[in-house]
Amino acid sequence: MSIEEQIKDIVSEIVRVDKNIIRREGTFKDINADSLDVVQILLRAEETFDIEIPDEDAEQFQNFGDFVDYVERHIAEKEKA
Amino acid sequence: MNQPLIGKLSLVTGGGRGIGRAIALKLASQGSDVIVNFFRHRDTAEKTAKELQDMGVKAKIIRANVGEPAKIDEMFDVISNDFGYLDILISNAASGVGRPVLDVDVKAWDWTMDINARALLLCAQRAARLMEGRNGKIVSISSLGSFLVWPTYAAVGVSKAALEALTRYLAIELAPKGICVNAIAASAVLTDALKFYIKGQEAAHQQATPAGRMVTPEDIANVVAFLCSEDAFMIRGQTIIIDGGASVMAPFVSTTGGVNQ
Repeated sequence: MSIEEQIKDIVSEIVRVDKNIIRREGTFKDINADSLDVVQILLRAEETFDIEIPDEDAEQFQNFGDFVDYVERHIAEKEKA
Repeated sequence: MNQPLIGKLSLVTGGGRGIGRAIALKLASQGSDVIVNFFRHRDTAEKTAKELQDMGVKAKIIRANVGEPAKIDEMFDVISNDFGYLDILISNAASGVGRPVLDVDVKAWDWTMDINARALLLCAQRAARLMEGRNGKIVSISSLGSFLVWPTYAAVGVSKAALEALTRYLAIELAPKGICVNAIAASAVLTDALKFYIKGQEAAHQQATPAGRMVTPEDIANVVAFLCSEDAFMIRGQTIIIDGGASVMAPFVSTTGGVNQ
């Protein structure tokens, strides 16, 4: 399963929404995720992919696509290291 | 140097940074080997473990979100397999959702209670088995918000009140097993996180504390070390307040006498 699909699964499970409504250009607000949902999503992603997502970085995500790109980039960097 | 904890093994949840780190370092300075539990910040946990090893004790880091029962079990499975015993449990890891009480929903409530209160229950249950015959000590880290009202602190304050009540029950029910259980409640502690929030108000906070300065992580660590010593054997089920006297001062009264205008 692609990283994007795995992240969609995480988001849909925590926010309890159909994963088909999660789009790259959409925001957490669009799917009615509150601040605690967002924290839980970040924590789950950190655990699943064994990466760290500092709050300062997470605040820069404009949409779901940014979040996926960030995770993919950090997994790639980790594999290179 | 006096090292009464040589040969002992301590687990500090949330031990990688802040108050937990200070406690881990203090216990290590007294000779204890230390397991540092962390969740989000592996780098800082590794750094803390390195500091502990440099002090000449064994140190190990274990990642676990103490809000999840399965993760607590996995952590204790590792401790059981690698060591087979435990002498000191410091239940320090905490989280919380800061909202006015009318905005605290079920999710926010459960999240806060699970990490701050239920984690002590589950950790103590597993720890008690590993402390069999070892005169174990359990110290949980509460906060003054368990009985003082701070803005948006409802969920956390209630979880800390539960933590303190659980500390009393554990103290009594684990006493026959030779385990001492107590809690510590501190006022705002000068950690990096807090420095960020009170920027520019440090002087006001200091002035509001009769002892003349804010509580530091080391202040907490010193009392934890005392509660983990045999000198504290007869203290059971108590919540020791560390606040430089702030909570016993009547409101609107200055620390130097007279009434503030």
